[in-house]
Amino acid sequence: MSITDRHSGIPAQTHAPSHALVPYGQGRIRGLDAGELGTHGIAMDRLVALGLPVVPGLTVPAGSAASLCEPGTARTALELVEQLSGRRIGDRSRPLLLRLSASASTEVAGLPPELACIGITPADADGLRAVIGRDEVLYEVWAATVRMIAEYALDVPAPELDDASLDAPDARARVDALLSTVARHAERPYPDDPAEQLALAARAVLGRWASPRARRSRKAQRLPAELGIALHVQAVRIGPWDHSGFGTAVSRHPDSGRFSPQGSFFRGVRRSAPPPRTGEPLEKLGGSTALLEHSLLTLERHLHAPVTVDFEVRDGEISLLAASAQSRPPLRAAVCLAADLAGDGALDRDEAVRRISPAQVQELLHPQLRLTGGEQLLVKGLPASPGAATGAIVLSSERALELAADGTDVVLVAHETTPGDVPGMLAAVAVLTGSGGIASHAAVVARGAGKPAVCGAEGLRADRAAGTVRIGDRVLREGDPVSLDGRTGAVYAGTLSVSVAGPPPELSTLLEWADGMRRLGVRANADTAAEVSTAIALGAAGVGLCRTEHQFLGDRLPLIRRVILAADAAARDEALLALEQAQHEDFKALLTAVGNRPVTVRLLDAPLHEFLPAAGEAQDAAEEQRAAALREANPMLGLRGVRLALLHERLYPAQAEALFTAWADVAATGVRPELEVMIPLVSLPEELAAAAAYVRGAAEAVAARTGVEVPYRLGTMIETPRAALLAGELAEHAEFFSFGTNDLTQLTYGFSRDDVERQVLASYQERGFLTASPFARLDPHGVGALIALAVERARSVRPDIKLGVCGEHGGDPESIAFCDGLGLDYVSCSAHRVPVARMAAAHSALSERRHDSGSAR
Amino acid sequence: MQSAAVGRTDALDETLTEAVVDLVLRGMWRGRPEADHRPLVDAGLAMVKGPMVLPTERAKAAAAQLLRISAGSEQEQRITAAYEAFLPVNRKIREVCTAWQCRPDGTANDHTDSVYDAEVRESLEDVHEAIQPVLRRLEPVLAGSGRYITALDEALDRFDDGAVQWLASPLCDSYHTVWMRLHQELLLVLGISRAQDEALEEELVRRSRG
Repeated sequence: MSITDRHSGIPAQTHAPSHALVPYGQGRIRGLDAGELGTHGIAMDRLVALGLPVVPGLTVPAGSAASLCEPGTARTALELVEQLSGRRIGDRSRPLLLRLSASASTEVAGLPPELACIGITPADADGLRAVIGRDEVLYEVWAATVRMIAEYALDVPAPELDDASLDAPDARARVDALLSTVARHAERPYPDDPAEQLALAARAVLGRWASPRARRSRKAQRLPAELGIALHVQAVRIGPWDHSGFGTAVSRHPDSGRFSPQGSFFRGVRRSAPPPRTGEPLEKLGGSTALLEHSLLTLERHLHAPVTVDFEVRDGEISLLAASAQSRPPLRAAVCLAADLAGDGALDRDEAVRRISPAQVQELLHPQLRLTGGEQLLVKGLPASPGAATGAIVLSSERALELAADGTDVVLVAHETTPGDVPGMLAAVAVLTGSGGIASHAAVVARGAGKPAVCGAEGLRADRAAGTVRIGDRVLREGDPVSLDGRTGAVYAGTLSVSVAGPPPELSTLLEWADGMRRLGVRANADTAAEVSTAIALGAAGVGLCRTEHQFLGDRLPLIRRVILAADAAARDEALLALEQAQHEDFKALLTAVGNRPVTVRLLDAPLHEFLPAAGEAQDAAEEQRAAALREANPMLGLRGVRLALLHERLYPAQAEALFTAWADVAATGVRPELEVMIPLVSLPEELAAAAAYVRGAAEAVAARTGVEVPYRLGTMIETPRAALLAGELAEHAEFFSFGTNDLTQLTYGFSRDDVERQVLASYQERGFLTASPFARLDPHGVGALIALAVERARSVRPDIKLGVCGEHGGDPESIAFCDGLGLDYVSCSAHRVPVARMAAAHSALSERRHDSGSAR
Repeated sequence: MQSAAVGRTDALDETLTEAVVDLVLRGMWRGRPEADHRPLVDAGLAMVKGPMVLPTERAKAAAAQLLRISAGSEQEQRITAAYEAFLPVNRKIREVCTAWQCRPDGTANDHTDSVYDAEVRESLEDVHEAIQPVLRRLEPVLAGSGRYITALDEALDRFDDGAVQWLASPLCDSYHTVWMRLHQELLLVLGISRAQDEALEEELVRRSRG
């Protein structure tokens, strides 16, 4: 395997795999690698090397694993474990059993189950039981061991064993039933001799590994059919159940991510697979918690990852059974660890930033309920399916479907879950149940349907007949609003708003480091002062796109309608004046929120139909007629953007004057936003020149009126293929370009987004024509090529032209890397994607740097 | 229509019994032709809500009555024995579905860790191996129960063919959907409430896992 190649280049096979039984800790000294020792042997070696306490045991290397099936080798192994543990099998006062497990050279699924009760006979069972003080567990583990040896080493037919097990629900009776089934069906009885038991156990483990089921599993995992496994024989030192036990712990708290050992410990003789909900907190370990903490900290520093350990407790002392880096640590743990290691100098900041992917940043900023402290917490249940939602209570599938059909968000509340509740769950925005846990049918269905859920909310009683839900002392009625968070299990009364979380402190630290590593700027698309403030709090350098359309909707719709449909010039001018005043206030608030940062304001770009009255709703017949004349077959490609401005010549001057006047007012308070005025939907240089003249005229008018010369840049969106192709000519009139990649994608493909997203894209992705929607991931070959060409032509005319992207692609990590590669100045994305874009831009810069230094060598 | 239905006796038209039991065990029908559900709706046993057909309270009561076998019978004892063997596996399948959907720390499983997913598939195989002897014992004592193993096999095949929604999606006859239906049938056949069921499952799981 690669491990040998990397370290020495000498294949392990040149050291003939000895028959040696390798005590934990001696593998590396003997020159054995993961292929021989298995992941478990390697992990135990590491623990011994780090000076941490491990349970006594040995490895039979993969190359000679079959030798353990020989009773002679098994006896030697058994004696060696006796020697390592200082105990003897069959000793009545300090009893010892053996546990056999297997591991392969890498982490794989489908290893044979471990056999944890080797070295016991019906005759010593009573003595063992007396030492332990309880019996159920011993018999459970024993029955499982007998069952597997019977099936895979003694060839007893599985249905016979199934029948014996089903007829004996009691574990002790099951051991007897299985042993007599073996006596009836096998060539020889189940042996009493511990070495013979160990040899058969080895045969069973290897037999299970060679079974059709295990072969299928290897094939599904694309593992070699003949992949070998190492066998591990461990001591199980039996003691009184309340002084013995098994525990698991991880190094970091899953929610806060801080170093703080978390886990539980289970009293009894088991050394794996503890029964659910019987664990005790780690503090109950007493003096051993310090040793556990030391072990976890040592391992973290060594492995540079959050770690997990399994440990044994014997006479109040712990020794480690297994240890590894957590394969998928909770995100906050990973982020905190990276920040901790870099803070201590154990890791470069570059490396710490590289460890956290943009997707992980997104995941950390999941939507959650916005809490202000005044909420009324109704109950806290189990967090069964992530996500936050708010809606009206319904108690039946019937009601859920009725209300949901009217567009009402509903939360299905059920006391228990039957198939009859499933349609209600599908119609609801969230599910709340009073019984069952995170593995209840309700939780499985909710997750399967992608709905947030809180389950097992104690004290919740739903009374369908009365239409009420009782939670503790509170009585809610069907239709009352509730809000719940499926990540925390909290359920609140009333309607709470759901919003994106801010970054936790350790992520903010990493993002600040990331900011120092990136070249590409990150701005936000934000239309109102509130959105601007959110975006700036999330680290946006400014506003890359402020859409002004919303300034004309709502209350102001009649005004713009009057501009467009006015019967005469006087009516139009009056409406325009009113619009200008309203916009002036909007712009003032916006610019104040922007502060001394750049802000790109796009002049009106709505399709005409959004401003026309619906047929039959005009004020009079004449207006009806004018509106009818203006209706278009395809408004998205009709009278829109700069085209509308050229036909209604007062529109842009009025907007620009409102904007410049607002700037002058804001500047008087000491704030100087870097204003950028942007013309949309341009495809002819002449259009841009004409619109630019309007804006210049407005600036002059404001200067004449207020005495303030407003500094601004003028630029254009590049959103039609023709604009991209004529970038050189456009650059003569523009100081900046912003690529509107949503429209540019639609027009390059000739895709109408709404239509193809419904009908075409899924099928194209299934066929492999597209790997991602071109609306989510910038198409590098077509749309990207147009952008590259436009960049080149624009820079040849105006080398210092400012270039950015303001489509949704501005928040997609791959598209961001593409923009960075083209040398654009910034991307602009929606506020909640800003942290993702900051991280993606840093990753892009880091990988370029790595690439450069790699090629330099 | 409703008043006519209420006026009828409890005895159901035989042609409706199979349909009403099916609808109650499934909880809903989606995308069935109107001819299938029209008679049930006319008899006050089903209601149409948008794209779905749901059983009425009357249908639920009727199905419970139709399925319940006589108390104290030998048949009841044998089904009870199978049901008690079913319960610990019933816990296990829900844990398997949960593990498929969520990582142990509660975050969504994004299916990028192939070893983890393969391990879940192994536990699913354990469940499938464990439920077969139980269903074999159920088959001779509960008419029609043989269809469950066929449906579970089918769901597993589709899952292995890469259509992973066939494990736990509520929108198809996934492994979990079929399992829930089997569970519901056992409860109605034996006249056991959900609360009793939950308590018994907890006790059996605790006993079997020591």
